Amino acid sequence: MPKFLIEVGVEDLPAEEAELIAQSFRENLLSRLREARVPHGKAHLFWTLRRFALLVEDLAERQEDAVEEIRGPAVAAALDPQGNLTPAALGFLRRYGASPKDLIRKKVGEKEYLFLRLERPGRPTAEILREIVPEAIRAIPCSKSMRWDESGGFLRPIRWAVALLDGEVVPLEIAGVRAGRVTFGHRFLSGPVELSRPEEYVQRLKEAHVYADPLERAELLRAEIRRLEEQYGARAALSEALWTLILGQTEWPKPVVGRIPKEFLELPEPVVVAALREEGKFVPYTRGGKIAEIFLGFAEGEGNPEIIRRGYERVVGIRLRDALGFFAQDRKRTLESRVPELREIVYEARLGTVWDRVERIRFLCRHLARELCLPADRLDRAALLCKADLLTVMVREFPELEGVMGGIYARLDGEPEEVAKAIEEHVRPAGKADPLPETPLGLALSLAEKLDGVIGPLRVGEMPTGSRDPYGVRRRGNAVVRIILEKGLRLDLFGLIEEAAKRYPGTAPAEVVKEFLWERLRSALEERGIPHDVAEAVLAQKRGDFLGVWERAQALAGLLGRRELADLALAFGRVRNITRGQEIEGFRPELFQEEAERELWQAFLSAKSRVEEALSRHQPSAALEALLSLKRPIDRYFDEVLVMCEDEGIRRNRLGFLTELSRLFLQVADLSRLVVPG
Amino acid sequence: MKTFQDLVLALHRFWREQGCAIVEPYDIEKGAGTFNPATFFGVLGPRPWRVAYVEPSRRPTDGRYGENPIRFGLHHQYQVILKPPPADIQELYLRSLEAVGINLREHDVKFAHDDWESPTLGAWGVGWQVWLDGMEITQFTYFQQMGGMDLNPVSVELTYGLERIALFLQGVESAFDLRWAEWLTYGEMFRERERQFSIYHFEKASVERARTMFDFHEAEAKECLAHGLVFPAYDHTLRCSHLFNTLDARGALAQAERETYIARVRALARACAETYVAEVVGAQVPDRSRS
Repeated sequence: MPKFLIEVGVEDLPAEEAELIAQSFRENLLSRLREARVPHGKAHLFWTLRRFALLVEDLAERQEDAVEEIRGPAVAAALDPQGNLTPAALGFLRRYGASPKDLIRKKVGEKEYLFLRLERPGRPTAEILREIVPEAIRAIPCSKSMRWDESGGFLRPIRWAVALLDGEVVPLEIAGVRAGRVTFGHRFLSGPVELSRPEEYVQRLKEAHVYADPLERAELLRAEIRRLEEQYGARAALSEALWTLILGQTEWPKPVVGRIPKEFLELPEPVVVAALREEGKFVPYTRGGKIAEIFLGFAEGEGNPEIIRRGYERVVGIRLRDALGFFAQDRKRTLESRVPELREIVYEARLGTVWDRVERIRFLCRHLARELCLPADRLDRAALLCKADLLTVMVREFPELEGVMGGIYARLDGEPEEVAKAIEEHVRPAGKADPLPETPLGLALSLAEKLDGVIGPLRVGEMPTGSRDPYGVRRRGNAVVRIILEKGLRLDLFGLIEEAAKRYPGTAPAEVVKEFLWERLRSALEERGIPHDVAEAVLAQKRGDFLGVWERAQALAGLLGRRELADLALAFGRVRNITRGQEIEGFRPELFQEEAERELWQAFLSAKSRVEEALSRHQPSAALEALLSLKRPIDRYFDEVLVMCEDEGIRRNRLGFLTELSRLFLQVADLSRLVVPG
Repeated sequence: MKTFQDLVLALHRFWREQGCAIVEPYDIEKGAGTFNPATFFGVLGPRPWRVAYVEPSRRPTDGRYGENPIRFGLHHQYQVILKPPPADIQELYLRSLEAVGINLREHDVKFAHDDWESPTLGAWGVGWQVWLDGMEITQFTYFQQMGGMDLNPVSVELTYGLERIALFLQGVESAFDLRWAEWLTYGEMFRERERQFSIYHFEKASVERARTMFDFHEAEAKECLAHGLVFPAYDHTLRCSHLFNTLDARGALAQAERETYIARVRALARACAETYVAEVVGAQVPDRSRS
C-alpha cells in the first residue's frame, strides 16, 4: 500500500513553538483521514524550525465506500393515490440529481418518509488529500498569526511544500504554494533536494545536513551535554524551557564550548545561569553549587568552531559585564528601602498594587505563623521584603531571578539567614516539576503567596476555564495542595480562607475559593494514584485539613482488597441508604427494644472513642480498624431489627441512632462510595 | 571591509541594486530608524515602497558613560523597508551579509524568534533577531500594524546594528576601537559624547523642563493635526517620544505615569497615521478591529 509524505517548508518558526505546530498538524491530518474514511498505517512526525513533515504508511488507495441516506418528503405528500411521485418528490430527486430507483421508504417515529439511498463510492486518496491537507494546516492554532502576502495567515510565511504519494506528486496548494517533490536542505550547506519517494525523506535530508527527526536531534544534543559533564566533572544546568529552545533552534547542531572569564565567576551562580540560558543561547554548567568555567552552545551548521567560540565568549562577556553593573547598581540600596515603591507597581487593576499584595501576604503569614508555630516576626520580615526585588535592575533584566535575587540581596543586607532563604524560596514551585521550598519559613511564605494568587483572582471573578487561565490560578492552587500534602502541613485551610477573603476586593464568596481548592485536592489525590472511589469516599465531607484527607485516602487505599473492608462498605451502605434524607437528631438508648440494637450501640460507643482518639493522633488506619469492629453488629442489626417499623416513636429513635452511627463513619470516609467487587 | 564607512557604503550599494531609494537620516532625535518618516509613513497605504538609510538612534537608557564596548546612548542603525516583501526575503538578507564581507559558512547564524513592538508608535510585527555567533546583529520584522492601522500590503523592516556587525568585520572587541575611516576611530568620534550624554540623561537633565517641553510639543502636535498638518504634527510627536525617553532614563517616571506618557505619544502617532491615510493617501481607513 502507498506511503504519503507531506512536508511544509516555512521561514524559521519560534523554536519554542515548532514542536507544538508539528504535533497539531499531525493530529489535524490524521483526524481528517479518519473522518474521510481513509485507513492508514503508522504515521511518523518530523520537524525542525524550518519544516514540519508527516510520513504516513500503508495508506489506502481509495476512501472506503459509504452509503448516505437523505430524508425527503413524507410518503403521504410524496405519492399520489395512484402511487405516482408528486411534484414535491420529483423536486427532491432533481435537487440531488437522483432517480426514482434510489428511493426507499423509512419510518421516522410514527411517520413514513421517502429517503434517497445514495451509494458513495470511495474517491481516490490523492483527491481526498488535496482537500484535507490545506484544511489541516489552516486548523493549526498559532500563538500569533501573521500576514506576509495575500495568501492568508500562519505563524510564519510558508515557502514550499512537498506532497508525494509514493512516486507521484499530489497537486495540492497551501497558502498559495504548490506542492512538488523538491525540498530544501540546510540553509548554507545544501540546496534544493529532489525526492523520488516518501521513504527516502529522512535520509536524503540528512545528506543535505538536516536532522529532520527530532528524536535523533535530541539524542545528539543530550550526548554532547553529557560528554561535557563527564569531561569537566560538572552538571549541566538545563531547564525545560532551555531544552525546548535548543532542540528547536538548529537543523544541524554543532557543539561549541566556550569559557567564562574569571572576573565573572564571582557573580552569584543564579545570575550567570540566567544570563547564559537567556533566550536559549547557552547551556550553563555548575560544580558544587558554583558556576563552572565552561558553557556549551549549539551552532547551526558546520561553521568554524574557533570563530564561533570567540563570538560566543564575546556575547557572554558583554552580558555578564552588564550583570556586574546591575549587581553593583542594585547594591547601592537595601531591599527594605525599596519596599515603599511597591505602591507604584500595579499588580492587577482590581487587585491593586504589589504593595497591597504584600499586605495581604503578610496577613496570611500572621495566621500561618500561629497555626504552624513559626516565629511570626521573622516570617513577617520575609513577607515584607519578598517582592522588593521586583524593583531591582537585575530582576527587570532577568525576570526568572525573581525571589532568588531577593534572597541574595537580603543576605547581603544582613537580614537573618532564614529570612533571606524564605524570600529566595517563596516563588517555588514555578511549575509542576519544580522543587518545593525546604525551610519552614520558605514553605509558609510560598503558601501565603500562592494562596493570595488564588484568592485574589477568584474573588474578582477570574475562574479559570478549560485551557484558559491567564492569572495562573490553577497552577497556584495545585502548588498550595502540593505544599500541604508533600510537606505535611497540618492547618485549617478553610478557616484561613474565610478570615482572609474579607480583606480582598471583589465579591465572590469564600465558598468559591474553598470549592476550587477542594477540586485541586481531588485531582491531586488522583494524580498520586489514589483510586477514584477511595478519593470520593474521603472527599465526601469538606474539611479544611487537606493533610488529613490525604492521610485518610492513603490509609483507606492501603486496606483495599481486604474482604472485611468490602463487607464493612456493604454494611455501611445499608446504614447510609436508610438514613439518607431522613437524618434525625438524637436518640434515647432506653427506647431500644431488640438485643441487636443494644449490641450495636455498645459496639458504637467503643468504636467512637477509638475513632476519635485515632483521628486526634492522625492515625487514620487505627480509625478504620475501629470501624471494622462494627461490621458484624451492623449486619446483625439489619437482620433482626425492622428500622421502618409502625411505631413512629421507635422508628424515629432508630433513625436517630443510625444517623449518629453514620456521622461516625463520615469523620473517616464515606465507605458507601467504595466500589465493592461482587 | 576595512572601515565603518565601507560597511555603510556596501549596504547602500547592495540595497540600491535591489531597487531601494537611499534616503537620509531624519533630523530629529529618535529611538530607532522606524521613527523616520520614510518608514512611518512609507509603510502606510497601498503604494509599493523600498527605502534604505542609516539612522543614528538615541536611547538614553542604553547609555553607559562610554564604558561598555557595545552599549551606547546613540548607536547607528541601517534600516531597510521592503513593501511588499519579496518571497526570498530571508535569502536576500543573508546575501546582504555576504555582500559586506561576512562568510556565512564560517559562522553560526540563527533567526531567533522575536516579535517586535513599539507601544509608542502603536506598531507591531512578527519576526526575528538575527544572531551571528550568538550576537544580535539585525532585527527582522514583518510589520503588521503601524500607528494602530493594519498594513496592507505588509512591509519587511530590516534593522542592522552597524556597530555590532563592524566588530565582526574588523575583529575588535570594543566598538570604540573600530575604524570609522582609515584615520579616525569610533572612540575618537563618540566616546566623550557618550560620557557627556550619559551624565546628562541619567543625572542632570531637568525633569521639570522635560515635562514642560513634552506638554508644549504635545499641544503643538494636536494643533497641527487640527489643521491637517500631518508632517509637522509628526515632528512634534517625535520630540515627545524623545522627551519621554529622557524622563525615563532620568528615573522620573513611576510605573503608572510611564504608561500614561506612552499612551499620550501613541495617541499622537495614531492620529498622524490616520490623518495621513485619510487625507494624504486618500484611502479608506482600514478596519481597526484588530487594534
